[in-house]
Amino acid sequence: MTMIYAAIRSVFVFFLFIGRKARKTRLFFLISGLPVVAALIIQTTRVFTAGSSVDGPAVFTVILMAFNLQFLILVLALFYGTSICSEEVEGKTLTYLTTRPLPKPAIILGKYAASALFLILMVATSVVAAFVILHIDRLFDAGAWLAMLRGLGVLALGLACYLAFFTMIGTFLKKSILFGLFFCFGWESVVQYFPGTTQKFTIMHYLKSLLPAVTLGGEKLSFLVFRLEPSSAAASITTLLVLTAVFLALAGLIFSRKEYLFDD
Amino acid sequence: MTAFIRTEGLSKWYGNVLGLSDVTLEIGPGITGLLGPNGAGKSTFLKLITGQMKPSIGRATIDGRDIWNQYPVFKRLGFCPEQDAFYEEMTGWEFLRRLLGLHGFPRAESDSRAEEALRFVELSGDKDRLIRGYSRGMRQRLKFAQAIAHDPEIMILDEPLNGLDPLSKRKVIRLIKEYKDAGKTIIVSSHVLPEIEALTRTIVLVHQGKILARGDIHDIRDLIDKHPHMISVKTHDSRNLAASFVGEPTVSNIRFGPAPDAVVFETKDRDRFFALLMRLIAERKIEVEEITSPDDNLQAVFDYLIGK
Amino acid sequence: MTISEQGYLHWKGTFVERTFPWWPIARLGIRLAFKRKFFKFAFSLSFLPVFFFLAGIYVSERLDDFQSMLKGADRFLKVDPAYFKNYFTSEFLLFMMVMLMVLAGAGLIADDLKHNSLQLYFARPLRKRDYILGKMVTVFFFVLLLTLVPGLLFILFKLLFSGSFAFLAEFPWLPLSVLGFSLCLTLFFGFYTLLISSLNRNRRYVSILLFLVYIFSDVFFGIFYGIFHNPYFSLLSIKSNLQQVGAAFFKVKRAYDIPWIYSFLVLAGIAVVSALVLRRKVRSVEVIK
Repeated sequence: MTMIYAAIRSVFVFFLFIGRKARKTRLFFLISGLPVVAALIIQTTRVFTAGSSVDGPAVFTVILMAFNLQFLILVLALFYGTSICSEEVEGKTLTYLTTRPLPKPAIILGKYAASALFLILMVATSVVAAFVILHIDRLFDAGAWLAMLRGLGVLALGLACYLAFFTMIGTFLKKSILFGLFFCFGWESVVQYFPGTTQKFTIMHYLKSLLPAVTLGGEKLSFLVFRLEPSSAAASITTLLVLTAVFLALAGLIFSRKEYLFDD
Repeated sequence: MTAFIRTEGLSKWYGNVLGLSDVTLEIGPGITGLLGPNGAGKSTFLKLITGQMKPSIGRATIDGRDIWNQYPVFKRLGFCPEQDAFYEEMTGWEFLRRLLGLHGFPRAESDSRAEEALRFVELSGDKDRLIRGYSRGMRQRLKFAQAIAHDPEIMILDEPLNGLDPLSKRKVIRLIKEYKDAGKTIIVSSHVLPEIEALTRTIVLVHQGKILARGDIHDIRDLIDKHPHMISVKTHDSRNLAASFVGEPTVSNIRFGPAPDAVVFETKDRDRFFALLMRLIAERKIEVEEITSPDDNLQAVFDYLIGK
Repeated sequence: MTISEQGYLHWKGTFVERTFPWWPIARLGIRLAFKRKFFKFAFSLSFLPVFFFLAGIYVSERLDDFQSMLKGADRFLKVDPAYFKNYFTSEFLLFMMVMLMVLAGAGLIADDLKHNSLQLYFARPLRKRDYILGKMVTVFFFVLLLTLVPGLLFILFKLLFSGSFAFLAEFPWLPLSVLGFSLCLTLFFGFYTLLISSLNRNRRYVSILLFLVYIFSDVFFGIFYGIFHNPYFSLLSIKSNLQQVGAAFFKVKRAYDIPWIYSFLVLAGIAVVSALVLRRKVRSVEVIK
């Protein structure tokens, strides 16, 4: 067990170093900064428009978190997750990893861990920055900070789970991006609104179940909870963690059994 | 500790296409050249013995341990792949250091090993440049460096001299020979026959997924009965010399040229021919300028066996 | 005799005026696109609206036969310029065009950058504009098949099913609108795809970016519009801009009350940026003499 852990750790450090300098990290940091830009625009307009009815915190909770949850983490997890294996195969650098004394699953898990860290940092930076901008006049509201941290926790869990899913997909599908797009903007976007047990077949259902019911002006307005029949928090967290573990285990298993041939 | 690579009935199919068929080999310490035309199965063989692919039938082992999915084997194995691929955003130094980190070496040792490997392939001066800025030759040397940095007992080198200038080639050939002298097991795959000849006389010749021949180049040549040995003798008295061999039953063909005063004999019994030749030279005091065997080389072996 | 390095050099001969020097590039792009399994499926799927709208045209001429099934829905089957606008700017069609660009267009320039093919192209008697035009025509081919061809077919079948030229007499400018907006869509998607394809050597990044930019532009429009209810935020969304311009071409009421020319300028701006970026990115190896 110690050996596996040491192997995962060494791969994690390896890809942490590479990821720091990678162009894609910069690109996706920029993309994850879009909500911050939106927050700036909204807050600036609010400040310079007399009698503006826009409520910064409401915008943050209802809209930006919705964007982060329904789009950003999906896109980030899709790209990074499918790249974990595909990048090494397409770049023909897989040989350097598989000819080291490392258990094959450790390669996948170590790279997953490094990717997860980058993604969580990206999203956390974006969320905290947007939160600060939109709550500039009530930064000492502990309740708001707690709600933000809770939301961030949900996003982190979501990232971990989606990243694990796409890592698994990337280990055996060549056209993983295409499948991923259909999954994110087809399956997840549609089935989450299905009635009854059906919606439990989406990861998004469990993430939304962890969000507090959102009210705005006394009425539930958020489309985040539209048609949601929430599961309990405990069940949601457990399911998400179990799914993450299962996806990662499958990814490790597939990666260790499969042969990857380079296109010559 | 000497390392042996063994394959038993090693075969690999890509769907319905046979990549490698029933290869049983033992490769021990020293340099073994792996030869064959494009598509012969060399890369397939190397991928199987470096654990990149799983055999369809048979097994490949290092000292009795299967290679496929047995990662501890890679502590003793260094592989220089053919493809020109790197983590381009890294410097040469970072690349080697980080790969050594994957071997479990502590940081200080990784640093010193990386330093040593870079010094050996003469990349110390460019170690802090990004790999994307390296020339073809530098990239090839870096690939070689990552294969040797952890001082493996077994080195598998796929086209290691690709893209190197003549001086670098000589240096790498010398290094490979030094590793051989240290008792390491080295497999070198190449299309370029003179390079293999410069490295070793022990070859494995692969064609259409099968082993056509293996062993010493000259021993293999001796076994190729279908193609008599050619011996070229350059002397002013070439016609008389030729006339002396006309009645000799082991000489199947005599022709003159291409060089002036040269006569080429074809014989199936090289030893008997040389014995006769020496006797004639001594008896008749013939002045011989040169005796060569134009086809006692790897190119000829390759051509005769592959059927060109 | 001196030996000189011949390597890859700019074409030093005189350019002979060939009819279509870009055609081999376009032909290759189209052929490669059809070799992809998923592309054929996606391309076939993109024609679904064509069949539905054609069926709608047929039904509109046979309303009596379908009266029992329609039950008041016949007002939706009025074949007029709005019908055409609905086809050309339908969410499904625009989305499928983006997917087709992801499948067939992502690697158009990205793959050439990755494999250093540009120097091979420009060692032939090929100008930069021929190369870019060849790549564009690959995109044009697919987009026109989904826009101009169905648009003209709708008009043709309307005339055939109605048995008279009354439709054309009522809307004589409609064929020009179909042509104009088809060209607009074609040029936009051509520039958009090549812009993003030239930004990176990795087809995977380009695929994601092609999709992301389109989707995120619409999402952010939704966010800002939801907060501020200002129609000018529709200029942020590629989809909304295309729909605004489409409404203008077909003389239909626009969804957002802003001058359509603004949307057109946004789309034209993207094309200009694309042209500038392509000018910079598409270059052969510099040969130092």
